[in-house]
Amino acid sequence: MRVRPIRIFVILVASLIPITLAAIFIFLTLYSWPAIQFNGVHFLFGRIWDLGNLYRNPVMVHGTSVPRGANYGILVFIVGTLATSFIALLLSLPISLLVAMFLAEGVPEQFRPALSLVVELLASVPSVVYGLWGYAVLIPFVANFLGPALASVAGFIPFFSGPVGSGYGLLTASLVLAIMTVPIITSTVYSGLIRVPREIKEATFALGATRFEVVRKVMLPSVRKNVIGAVILGLGRALGETMAVLMVSGGALNYLPGTIYSPITTMAAFIVSQLDSALQDPTGMAVHSLAEIALVLLMIAVLVNIVARALTGGQGHIAYG
Amino acid sequence: MASLTSRALQRRVYSAVSWVLCTFAFALVAFPLFDILAIVFRRGASAISPGLFTQVTNGISGGLLNAIEGTLVLSGGSLLFAVPIGVIAGIYLSEYGHGMFGKVVRFLCDVLTGVPSIVLGYFAYVTMVVELGWQFSALAGAITLAIMIVPYIARFSELELSQIPYSLREAGYALGMKERTVIAHILFPIAWPGILTGILLALAISVGETAPLIYTAGWSNYMWNGHLTKEPIGYLTYVIWSFINQPFASAHALAFAAAFLVVFTVLLINVGARLLVKRRRYFE
Amino acid sequence: MKKHSSNLASKSAALLLSMVVGLVAWAGSANPAQAADQVTLLETGSTLLYPLFNLWVPDYTRANPGVRITTQGTGSGTGIAQAVSGVAQIGASDAYMSDEQMKQNPDIMNIPLAISAQTINYNIPGLNRVHLRLNGPVLAGIYSGAIQYWDNAKIKALNEHLKLPHKKIIPVHRTDGSGDTFIFSQYLSFSTPSWNDSTGYGTTISWPAVQGGIGALGNPGMVQASQTNLYSIAYIGVSFHAQIESAGLGTAVLENRAGRFVLPTPRTVTAAAHELLSKTPTDERLSLIFAPGAESYPIINYEYAIVSKRQASPEVAAAMRKFMLWAIDLKGGNSAHYLNEVRFIPLPSSVSELSRKQIVQIQ
Repeated sequence: MRVRPIRIFVILVASLIPITLAAIFIFLTLYSWPAIQFNGVHFLFGRIWDLGNLYRNPVMVHGTSVPRGANYGILVFIVGTLATSFIALLLSLPISLLVAMFLAEGVPEQFRPALSLVVELLASVPSVVYGLWGYAVLIPFVANFLGPALASVAGFIPFFSGPVGSGYGLLTASLVLAIMTVPIITSTVYSGLIRVPREIKEATFALGATRFEVVRKVMLPSVRKNVIGAVILGLGRALGETMAVLMVSGGALNYLPGTIYSPITTMAAFIVSQLDSALQDPTGMAVHSLAEIALVLLMIAVLVNIVARALTGGQGHIAYG
Repeated sequence: MASLTSRALQRRVYSAVSWVLCTFAFALVAFPLFDILAIVFRRGASAISPGLFTQVTNGISGGLLNAIEGTLVLSGGSLLFAVPIGVIAGIYLSEYGHGMFGKVVRFLCDVLTGVPSIVLGYFAYVTMVVELGWQFSALAGAITLAIMIVPYIARFSELELSQIPYSLREAGYALGMKERTVIAHILFPIAWPGILTGILLALAISVGETAPLIYTAGWSNYMWNGHLTKEPIGYLTYVIWSFINQPFASAHALAFAAAFLVVFTVLLINVGARLLVKRRRYFE
Repeated sequence: MKKHSSNLASKSAALLLSMVVGLVAWAGSANPAQAADQVTLLETGSTLLYPLFNLWVPDYTRANPGVRITTQGTGSGTGIAQAVSGVAQIGASDAYMSDEQMKQNPDIMNIPLAISAQTINYNIPGLNRVHLRLNGPVLAGIYSGAIQYWDNAKIKALNEHLKLPHKKIIPVHRTDGSGDTFIFSQYLSFSTPSWNDSTGYGTTISWPAVQGGIGALGNPGMVQASQTNLYSIAYIGVSFHAQIESAGLGTAVLENRAGRFVLPTPRTVTAAAHELLSKTPTDERLSLIFAPGAESYPIINYEYAIVSKRQASPEVAAAMRKFMLWAIDLKGGNSAHYLNEVRFIPLPSSVSELSRKQIVQIQ
């Protein structure tokens, strides 16, 4: 076959995408290499993150110069990241399914564009604005109403028992992430629902099913794969969210959340909030360790995508950032 | 018979209750959007004045002209990189990307959309700002944004192109057209509205970004002097993020004015993008 | 239909593209003549100094049109790092650089520009109008979880005449790296040996896990967190005095090294600064925390400009010398007109002289 210049050109340009991703991966690995060597496996399972005493002279530990008392463990941030994402999806999945069904079958056709626009605009609100809103509206709401209500209704379950605290923490961060993942899940499921062949719907109606039964028992099961893919896409979004979480999470350090009201920290938020302090470490180990967090986050993002693809059989989806 | 009727009634009630639940879920989702808009509008609109668009930021007061210009330059600049690369990558994926390499590119494209923006910012800071010596600059900021939005444009373009029936391509080749002619004169004109939608959505993303710019574009109180490197540049989201942390009321007013401008620009672009492909679909 | 829409699309695309190109061209040609002979300085770092720079810069650049100064509030660590790497010309920092950092970067100078202080604030209904007495060991006890209730015997011992509620204390700390955390934890370290051994000081410290304790982002976050949480306590930069007032928080009277309880006022802050005048070394790296003297307020600090002796060009160096000399001048940047806005204290004349000697070394 003759090699056509246009193909070579197109392939070369398209290669920029894998090259960029590889560059990010290679750079982060190289940059965090001293930390990977110093921290070892302890990095992932240690609960204590301590920059050490930056004002005393560094000490040598295993041949590496680090601040006295330096200890880098990110278990607390991994747990915070997974817990907020998991609770967020637990909340947003049922709501998203209901909204998708509502949009697909519950409203007259002429209202659909306007109503679906609401969901799409929700996806387009910048995360720093979500943070601003979470900080101004959601935190007082959780501290004064939702938290106390939840504690009194479900307080017999240890995870939900009070004290409710300040409003900063796991519950508020999860709520913000839930709102941010709803449009991703809703739009993916909805686009599956409206592609269900008309014949199938009509056949089910003919059997005497109500409209809700059609959408719930026939249409929804037929887009199962979209649902799974959407949830994992939402997971990807929630794991990496930075600004909004930073502003409402309460920034826990060195302890795991005891209840749903506990302050927490996620990996992405921690990188932003600690880069400044890390830059004061004359040995550079703190900055290398932050790069290692970024590397772990990157690998989780890759893993999530692999799982999403395996489960949805290579069906790609585009999530709005 | 009676039991059958009661069962039918039961099903009807169940359905009706479920629809109420669905409506309630929708209201639950719509509320945050309207509340965000209401707050940003109420606190932002009151801070809007002609000076906002004619003056540069002066300490903690003044206008936002430098930030508005910076956001336009950064987002516009990122499009200059991202549109050609993204659209051509989309053409590759749709027209040639069915082999192993295509699968890899498509997969990595999706992975790139999933890379947290702070990780991109961190990467760009150490490579472009420090190692390449560009310092805080429009170029470093625009390229970082471009890395963020290229995969969106690529996947949107692929989606649009791959929806065109294969028979149209065959018709082109039957007329003796070359591959590039088929792409440029048959496929592209058809797919263009959809691709443009993707570009506009990507633009909206770049306008609203904060985390990757803090350590790449920096911030400047002044109008950009046109230097691509070694000259920091302002942008609107910086004002939201940083001025809300200031002890002065004038700084808070600027932060909300900036939030107002960002939110409404982003929403306007989104609505505009949807109108462009309204007849086709509402979701993708 | 299809034809029409694609026309519309290409038109809007062309419009968009020409807007982008036009904009870049316009921005590029905005004022090249003016930009050529102008010196651009970038100041970045401390969020405590940021408001002050934002007051200084508009006035200074209006009087000196040959220089453009951009200000950023990014945090002290960033300020130091970017002054060292040359990304910024002036790194603002609440903390001086460590010995190790100085050894690695011998060209870098720490130049005090003004003196700042920190207040300890609390929110106890009924007691916010009176000034609760606190000291380092009690604060260390609160922030380490050893003291859990406001009616703890140790707090009672300091405030015998007050009726303290049996309520859990909510200690609030900063989650972002911050000069406020640095000076607060230094006060705890210098006054309480056990805190020094277990936790120490820094811009981010490994806070002991206190049940119910919360983190907040930035000084506004600290004010908001203590306002919304009854029975909380927080450390807040003195620039936020107006916010603290309007939030109705109480301000604690702190025990100093001499065992006296003092309020943060211009008089007590100045007194503390004067106690340490003679101790300030020529490189001006000195903590002012827990100063001796009966009148000294214990939590004050120099606000530093971190700058390199070697600048890219003589023009930049000249512009920096001029600006910084103006900044420490009592008739310029150190005048009450600016410092009162953020509640800072001017440099005493002998320290001002040390700063001047450092500034003239910028080449």
